[in-house]
Amino acid sequence: MMQIRKLENSILAGGSLLAAVLWTFPLYWAFITSIRTEDRVVSDAAGLIPDEFNLTAYASALFNTKLLTWYWNSIATSVIITVVVLVSGMMCAYAISQMRFPGRKLLYGVVLASFMVPSQALIVTQFILMNDMGLINTWAGIILPQLIVPVVIIVYKQFFDAVPKEMREAVVLDGGGDYTLLFRVYLPLNWGITTALAIITFIMAWNQFFWPFLVVTTENMMTIPVGITQVNDAFGVYYARLMAVALLGAMPVAVFYLIFQKKVTEAVMISSGVKG
Amino acid sequence: MAVQLRNVRKSFGTVEVIHDVSMDIAAGEFAVFVGPSGCGKSTLLRTIAGLEDTSSGQISIEEQDVTWTEPAKRGVAMVFQSYALYPHLSVYENMAFSLRLRRASKREIEEKVLEAAAILRLEEQLHKKPSQLSGGQRQRVAIGRAIVRQPKVFLFDEPLSNLDAELRVQMRLELARLHKQIGATMIYVTHDQVEAMTLADKIFVLKGGIVQQSGRPLDLYRDPDNRFVAGFIGSPAMNFLEGTVTGREGDLTILEVDRTEMVARIDATPAPGTSVALGLRPEHIRVGETGLPVRMEMAEELGGLSFLHTRRPDMSEIVVEWRDGEHARMGETLHLACSPDKIMVFDTEGHRMR
Repeated sequence: MMQIRKLENSILAGGSLLAAVLWTFPLYWAFITSIRTEDRVVSDAAGLIPDEFNLTAYASALFNTKLLTWYWNSIATSVIITVVVLVSGMMCAYAISQMRFPGRKLLYGVVLASFMVPSQALIVTQFILMNDMGLINTWAGIILPQLIVPVVIIVYKQFFDAVPKEMREAVVLDGGGDYTLLFRVYLPLNWGITTALAIITFIMAWNQFFWPFLVVTTENMMTIPVGITQVNDAFGVYYARLMAVALLGAMPVAVFYLIFQKKVTEAVMISSGVKG
Repeated sequence: MAVQLRNVRKSFGTVEVIHDVSMDIAAGEFAVFVGPSGCGKSTLLRTIAGLEDTSSGQISIEEQDVTWTEPAKRGVAMVFQSYALYPHLSVYENMAFSLRLRRASKREIEEKVLEAAAILRLEEQLHKKPSQLSGGQRQRVAIGRAIVRQPKVFLFDEPLSNLDAELRVQMRLELARLHKQIGATMIYVTHDQVEAMTLADKIFVLKGGIVQQSGRPLDLYRDPDNRFVAGFIGSPAMNFLEGTVTGREGDLTILEVDRTEMVARIDATPAPGTSVALGLRPEHIRVGETGLPVRMEMAEELGGLSFLHTRRPDMSEIVVEWRDGEHARMGETLHLACSPDKIMVFDTEGHRMR
């Protein structure tokens, strides 16, 4: 019995290790490529073991490309998208969940329906719209179509639905209105889900490639994922530099997640403890 | 009058749940709405709070018509069954919440919160979150939240139902003490008639959205208007025996139950042959040599007294209070009797014949 158990554990550990290696390998490969010289990268001698530690690609990425501008564009657009999506999403969810008005169910139906439309299906019409509004090559052009995130509304609504009715009535008797309810009770009560949604929305906005790629054509307005496509010239692709830019581009998201990951766990624990 | 209801009706869609209720609650009075679930007692309380609109009728608080006034402006504070504390705020902030909304000064907030905390013995818990408190403490915070608002009327919606039996008794005493201490008008909803009897200055017994009877607890106990009130107030409940009027001797009405003669002293003179129900409280029944034959089935021993559960020939139960030490054994036949003054008589519709 003990032996079967041991075997099971070994198989599980082996499987996990294999999955971890498969998952980490591209990152590892990107890293060792980024610390090699361009000649070394394309030579037959480039093996799996790091044999050089050369930061030229990073220096080149930082000083010969517009990486810092792209950083700024990415950070600004992602933060604006996150803030607007969360604030508008929670207000819409609050209205659908807590207020009684004609057409409420229809409105929720529309939100659910929009969830089912793939964003690619709307790309052409969105592009024409942005073009007509003169928003090509602007932050507004990048941001506006990304503000529709129905899943945020759906998730918030479900959490607001779960807040006991008495809590609402207590606030009403205390003299509070809808804004008091939303910002001083419902939001703090669901802080965990707000943090989680903020992280998801930020990462989604940061990683967004297709739409910014279409709506931005000047290098100065590009976000990082779009900027990566510019790290080549008439002589072809510079692999080391490309990988350096990719790693530098992914780093803020990784750091952002690592910082807030703890917060998410904390927040979820608080909200579940509070609800218990 | 602190609270006055005139012909209040409340419907949900086509279903009317409160039927033409009128009542008066005097200033400083502890009024209790009691009744089985679905009788409309909570709806009536919520109507007074303003959490439900009335379909018709008028509600006044301290002589002011508040029928269409917003809940926060009625001068009422409510304590909910689930406490409805704000889980993310400390005990202090929970109590300060309504004052902050009213933009009270920091000093005023501190004064009122500390005063309420002292009344409720919560001084040590002020920095804690509700999740760190016991059920009784949470309930006290909910009451504290009401006290700081200094309302004209306190409303309690089954506030002790979530507590265990022991704590419920303790909190009941604390509520009674609190009422004495602050002397405010309180309206309390419960389905537990023991709570109603022990706390109330005035009880309103509700059934089917109608006030069946109102009055002082002992008046309701001693002199119920109908069979429902008689059966609802008192624990163990009153025993009811179906019987027939057979005649009258002076001011005594002769009745027959299970071929046994019983006598009730009532002024009403129902014709011989009238079907009636006799109401006997367990503590008024005597066990003797003659009387209604029953079979002893089970005894509930409570120490100083016992409740004997007996069966009539038709298998209906009669509960008898017994205080005289050794009682009959299981299966034995007993004979039950009751003084004519203590027997209540109800007609077939449940109205009391006095």
